[in-house]
Amino acid sequence: MTRIACLLIMNEPAGNEPAGNEPARPALLQVALAHSPRVEDAGAGLIYLDASGLEGLFGDESRLAARLRDAAAAVDVEIRVGIAESRIAALAAARLGSGVTIVERGGDAAYLAPAPLSLLDLPEETATRLSRWGLRTLGELAALPTAGLFERLGGDGVRLQRLGRGEDPRPLVSWRPGPLFEESAALEWGIETLEPVVERLRELAARVCARLGAAGLAADGFEWTCRLGDGRAHEGALTPAVPITDADSVGGLLRLALEARPPRGVVEALTFRARPVRFAPAQESLTDRSRPAPRLLTATLNRLVALVGADAIGAPALLDTHRPDAVVLAGYSSEPSAPRRDSRPPIPLKGVSQHPPSPLGGEGRVRGDTLALRRLRPAPPASVTMASGRPVAVRSARLAGRIVAGVGPWRVSGEWWSPHPWLQDEWDVELADGTLCRLAHDGSAWRLEGIYD
Amino acid sequence: MAIPIESSPPPGWEREGIDGLLGLFPPGRLSEIVGPRSSGSSSLLLALIARITTSGSQGGGQVAFVDGMDALDPASAATAGADLSALLWVKCGGRLRVGLSAADLLVRCPGFALVVLDLDELGPMPASAHVRLQRAVEGTDTILITRSARHREGSPASLILATRRLAPHWMGLRPLTRLAGLRSEVSIFRSRSSHASREGRWTLDWTL
Repeated sequence: MTRIACLLIMNEPAGNEPAGNEPARPALLQVALAHSPRVEDAGAGLIYLDASGLEGLFGDESRLAARLRDAAAAVDVEIRVGIAESRIAALAAARLGSGVTIVERGGDAAYLAPAPLSLLDLPEETATRLSRWGLRTLGELAALPTAGLFERLGGDGVRLQRLGRGEDPRPLVSWRPGPLFEESAALEWGIETLEPVVERLRELAARVCARLGAAGLAADGFEWTCRLGDGRAHEGALTPAVPITDADSVGGLLRLALEARPPRGVVEALTFRARPVRFAPAQESLTDRSRPAPRLLTATLNRLVALVGADAIGAPALLDTHRPDAVVLAGYSSEPSAPRRDSRPPIPLKGVSQHPPSPLGGEGRVRGDTLALRRLRPAPPASVTMASGRPVAVRSARLAGRIVAGVGPWRVSGEWWSPHPWLQDEWDVELADGTLCRLAHDGSAWRLEGIYD
Repeated sequence: MAIPIESSPPPGWEREGIDGLLGLFPPGRLSEIVGPRSSGSSSLLLALIARITTSGSQGGGQVAFVDGMDALDPASAATAGADLSALLWVKCGGRLRVGLSAADLLVRCPGFALVVLDLDELGPMPASAHVRLQRAVEGTDTILITRSARHREGSPASLILATRRLAPHWMGLRPLTRLAGLRSEVSIFRSRSSHASREGRWTLDWTL
């Protein structure tokens, strides 16, 4: 007779959390797998394992349950354990019991009889229907005539009734941990200089990349650990712009990363691991423009990061606010972006290779596009002279002059409901030398926001 | 036959519009835009970026913008029609050498349709850097453009466009109410490219 153990995580927000968002579950899955060869990840803080035939290893079921609780506590997870012949009875034992609850053999139906119907995780419509019938417990559901239940609820009704009787024919869906793409090397002698460390890590990276390639995977992140002679560990990580599996690229990135932050001490052991992802290469189109190759782009971006810093490179993304200059740098990828939501059609480019020299013959008056503003970051303070409520002269570190024309003030403000409201009056002014610029006054001081160009 | 008034362009306007001007920039060559403040040079760059990033059925080309003075306004670029996700923005914090190195790296990464080195008042760049960039972009499909406030003699650029401000457009009578745009002039300062005219002058109306 099969025996099922249910592990219910108690110090996790079980229930509404999406699968994969619980940091404790992976650790508990490993704990379960260390005790039984068949483990099911039921999501939402629930794990089932096949507890049959484990007596020879761990003793009776109470000893097994105590062992599971201790092992879970060792990884900071508090659990309740229920053991029964069916999943539903084991779940009821874990949910309704305290600590460890073991349902005796052949006693599932009797144990489930007083359990509430909510244990079945019923659809709302079915729950309402059963409630209108006056059913409250699994025992009441189990006692209904099966034929009548089938007439009213169909096959689902019969399945629910069987669950209420502790009959759960569905086998465990085995969970297997994903392949671990990790390579380690213990060094015979400690290494003090950087170059041999880089070379050994490149060898490990090449082996990991070969395994990734054989599995048809790529990696979107790499990590390494250098165990130092004094017991400390030097850890590093890199994230390529696109998932890659090319050993040369990874080696190049490794070298850049280690040169930027080398291990401080004698290295005695190395570990290199990759975060695998399934990466389907996009089909290139004959009609589209070429894009930077992922390998070259990754190397270029990493060199640029080393040159300007990680916070000074990326694809600009506008924030959903009217605050001036509200922009962040998002990660840049050369992959085609999703179709734009606005209805503006693509603007055709009359490239040099597609059409002859300008038909204007080098002369003409043409309609331009948008007038660009050049931002001054940070906006320098400005000294503005006012006359009759209008600015007539400006002086700042970037420019100074008499104002010959100007419009304003245009007040912009927002986020008054938040702890950081903002407000400023903007003026567009023309200086005597023809410069068009934007001035802003935030109630206390003037700033030179930018120059139209 | 009567012509609907909406389909009739104003006198002097060309159907090709600004595209004829933007098509002058030769791939695989160094081009230069030179102009003082408020002369429309940045607007010209944004118009080119907008066209390149939005052309093509599955998205446009990739553009790298090396920003010497951190002056790019992404909101202006978006208003001009640029696809910001196809724009790699490299901020150099006012460091000329960093900007030159970044542009050099990007030009040597094939696949970018356009690489812009916006030096503004950081320039003019050293002649050696000019030559290095020119050599790096040769044989590629990349359009390389530098923008600076002043022109340096001896530049190896194949195309040099000079921009000049003409007049701002204001809305409203007295008192004025809004800045509506800017009229500027673009002229071919020098052209060694077989694709472009040797001489030319365009008047451009930029709108805000």
